[in-house]
Amino acid sequence: MLWIGLYLPWLSLEAFAATLPPEARGTPIALMHLHQVVSLNRAAHALGVQRGMKRATALALAPQLLFGEAHEGRDAAALQAVAHAALAFSPVVNLSPPAGVLLEVSTTLRYFGGIDRLAQRLDDTLAPLGHRVFRARAPTAQGAALLSRWRDGVQCPDLATLQAALDDAPLPVLTAAQPHLETFQGMGLRHLGELRRLPRAGLARRFGEGLLDELDSASGDRPDPRESVVLPPAFDSEVELFARADTTDQLLHGAEVLLARLVVWLSARHAFVRRFQLVLRHEGRLRRTEGPSVTPVDVALAEPSRDAGHLQSLLRERLAAFVLPAPTLELALHAHDIAQQPPPNTELFPTPRNEREGLVRLIERLQARLGPARVQRLVRVPDHRPDRCAHTLPYEPGAAPRAPEPVVTSRRPVRRQARGAAERAAVSPAPTKPPVLLAHPLEPERPAPSMRPVWLMPEPVPLAERQSRPLLDGQVLQLLCGPERIEAGWWDEGLAERDYFIAGTAEGALVWVYRARLPLSGGEGWFLQGRFG
Amino acid sequence: MPPAIVPLAEPSRTAAGPVSRTGGDESPTPPAPRVDRLDPERLHPALWRGHQLGRHAEQGCATGYEALDAQLPGGGWPRRALSELLLAHPGIGEIRLLAPALAAVQQAGRLVMLFDPPAVLSGWALAGMGLDVEQLLLIQAASQVPVDPGAAPPGPSRQVGVQARLWALEQALKSGHVGAVLAWLPPRLAPDRVRRLQLAAQAHDGPAFVLREASAQSSPSASPLRLGLRAAGVDQLAVNVLKRRGPPLLQPLHLRLPAMLSPVAARRARSAGEAEVRPVEVPMGAEQGAEAFAAAVAPRLPSATFVNLA
Repeated sequence: MLWIGLYLPWLSLEAFAATLPPEARGTPIALMHLHQVVSLNRAAHALGVQRGMKRATALALAPQLLFGEAHEGRDAAALQAVAHAALAFSPVVNLSPPAGVLLEVSTTLRYFGGIDRLAQRLDDTLAPLGHRVFRARAPTAQGAALLSRWRDGVQCPDLATLQAALDDAPLPVLTAAQPHLETFQGMGLRHLGELRRLPRAGLARRFGEGLLDELDSASGDRPDPRESVVLPPAFDSEVELFARADTTDQLLHGAEVLLARLVVWLSARHAFVRRFQLVLRHEGRLRRTEGPSVTPVDVALAEPSRDAGHLQSLLRERLAAFVLPAPTLELALHAHDIAQQPPPNTELFPTPRNEREGLVRLIERLQARLGPARVQRLVRVPDHRPDRCAHTLPYEPGAAPRAPEPVVTSRRPVRRQARGAAERAAVSPAPTKPPVLLAHPLEPERPAPSMRPVWLMPEPVPLAERQSRPLLDGQVLQLLCGPERIEAGWWDEGLAERDYFIAGTAEGALVWVYRARLPLSGGEGWFLQGRFG
Repeated sequence: MPPAIVPLAEPSRTAAGPVSRTGGDESPTPPAPRVDRLDPERLHPALWRGHQLGRHAEQGCATGYEALDAQLPGGGWPRRALSELLLAHPGIGEIRLLAPALAAVQQAGRLVMLFDPPAVLSGWALAGMGLDVEQLLLIQAASQVPVDPGAAPPGPSRQVGVQARLWALEQALKSGHVGAVLAWLPPRLAPDRVRRLQLAAQAHDGPAFVLREASAQSSPSASPLRLGLRAAGVDQLAVNVLKRRGPPLLQPLHLRLPAMLSPVAARRARSAGEAEVRPVEVPMGAEQGAEAFAAAVAPRLPSATFVNLA
């Protein structure tokens, strides 16, 4: 057994600081609990504020001191994110309240290439969460927890060194010793070793069984069953902002910590997020605004991702085009739609694969800023009527291609470039369909495509007529080719009976005009249908 | 490094001038063989003489039209630079002009992005020109065409729309992952916006076409290549090189585009007396040609034969 103990000495302070607006960083902060300062940062300490002070005393020393209320739920949420980060490295992760996380890594050492590399990767994973972490290594869980509370970087490879290290540890690391610290001080006890050398029966009688149990499980003399942290199947996290957020920047800053937690959770699940939702909870008292009290912001990704920077840029584009109905007090992030995928390979040189990734990200950014409906792909509909043969569909992120009709091809454009990446196609839930099989039976019915104009009018433009010849821009069109009769649509509402001509304008450009055959099929006279680009 | 034009026409002086300054060679009359060796075009790939076509470090994308390739610096559409095409209205053959280059880009497995096409594009016609519809992406950043009447928010105002279009275009150019870009921009555009796009295009490894109305010809532009396009008869296009890295081209180029008319119709048009099938590179006045064409075709095409109503 090899346990790594993580201890976050300033957990509540850091969890509180994450809710502050960006301009409030660096100000002296003190957290209050039961009218006493329980935690304070370096700037406050430099001004002379101490733990256990009352609010008035602290304010007298430092008038600019920022007071926050200690909040157990906030600390627990931050600690849970750390536990999720640890779950990426080991299946056995325990919480050690109030601010510790233990993980058993002897089973995964070989996979991660040794304890030092694992510790390095653990640090890298924890870094975005922004916590100061003390780390200790010991063969027992309780021993690792106690040593990590003592100081950073204690390493005990076996039980003997653990015992020696524990004997030197100060008494306050023991949870069960907290109520009796003054008594111990009066008895002249400072280290665990001195406590261990006292008679056990007397200790148990005076201070309870818990003290001895904690000591025994730390040195490995007593079984220490613990309940492992289980990863929730969906991600839900929220943060209450310290100040009202009025601008996008403030919102983004608040969402930063949520996104970091999301990324940590995703890496523990070995998954990538397909879409997520940021919920803004607004100030409820402002009834004048008549706005909703909750605003959801959905972000969908074309390609599942867990890159915090990319997610943040998408969120920024979404929020940039957003008008906030009211100041925001709370943020919540929900991610229920995730994709299980192998992680991407990292490559040194540019390859078609990372070009494709960059392209997908570009498209996602465009979609996030302009709206998904404004990034479109062309669809060829096998219909003889020109106004129905061209069709555009929004480019769809992630989901399998869908089309309203038996559309010839509906494969997404970027897919094609990924054909070389066989491992992607093998895992992808929506494999590329062979559209050519669909296309062939329909294609011979089409006239030669060179006869069709590239530009089509959204609606046929009626043309004036002079001596039964059409006029465009006041000039007579010369009919060069035709008629080509198109009669279709008797089976649906769009009956078209038209004679199509290719006509030349005076300058030499070619246009496509038609004459409606029957008055009942949409007007009479000449119409401009398209231009040959 | 911006390419420099060496403006002197005389070869010997041209070589001697810059070299004596940069190389520190102070001899007033350099011997003849050294002049030969120190030609500006041998000094640096970005140097050329005033009467030569500009040279680029990398080869351009072949346009598919040899006559045009011969007149463009780099032998084709420039990469990492904007190519501005000015035309009176869409539908004079500009897509046929660009289609070979775009198809070549797509065959290299890269995507082509179209920004705000001015009308509905027909996928069938594009496929007929050899383009792969699957590798086209339309970005309707500012178009007035309702994209999705159901869910989409109401269309932005025009100015916001143009800004969104420029933003999207700049992102696409900057990313460098798009194979080719085709953008329709308004004629009235501040020069610094074009310059911004041109700077962004330096990261774009492929052709970037900007199509604007012909009225933009008078306004300055940062794009290193500007072409004026004009229809010059059936299936013919007059290309006027307004700006390039090299000497100005006085005569417009006449390109024969892929025929849109069926052979029968083409024959009919020919038999109508119009000498529309001209040799490709013969320069000719376009107005003259169009008038001759109209005058020749008009009296010989009896319209009544076509208007045969049931």
